[in-house]
Amino acid sequence: MVLLESEQFLTELTRLFQKCRSSGSVFITLKKYDGRTKPIPRKGFVEGFEPSDNKCLLRATDGKKKISTVVSSKEVNKFQMAYSNLLRANMDGLKKRDKKSKNKKSKATQ
Amino acid sequence: MPQYQTWEEFSRVAEKLYLADPVKACVVLKYRHSDGNLCIKVTDDLVCLVYRTDQAQDVKKIEKFHSQLMRLMVAKESRSAAMETD
Repeated sequence: MVLLESEQFLTELTRLFQKCRSSGSVFITLKKYDGRTKPIPRKGFVEGFEPSDNKCLLRATDGKKKISTVVSSKEVNKFQMAYSNLLRANMDGLKKRDKKSKNKKSKATQ
Repeated sequence: MPQYQTWEEFSRVAEKLYLADPVKACVVLKYRHSDGNLCIKVTDDLVCLVYRTDQAQDVKKIEKFHSQLMRLMVAKESRSAAMETD
């Protein structure tokens, strides 16, 4: 699992989407992250670990290659804009429901 | 594993699920360009909610929802209650 900086993660994510255009899926996972880097020992011997509250973990994979990044409140604004644009630009293979929406509009005006 | 047919219902229940236990909740997005479909799943390891779509109009909604949850996760505890729903 490769942990990357936010910008690099976005670049790699774009590459993943491009690779999977002809076949395959892109999986993206989002989860709250409290900053732990060591597993919790079974016998409850918690070493000076302070759970932080303002981070989330973002993972992406195409089934073979895995990438991940940690986003904190400081980066979230910039990251989110770039990330939203990325998703919208790449998830463009879906059906457009033009006919139905046009019908609804004409019905509404009548 | 309930599958939702309407986005309204799914987003409402999924948000509630996340707010109930933010640490456990997890969001998964699966996109297949070759099949032209998108699936979003929200789970807290006990309950799992799924919404599938092949409509382009849902991409924006799903992406907005995803970003909304990201913001919630990154916000400090005191602020998490002050969230606006569409």
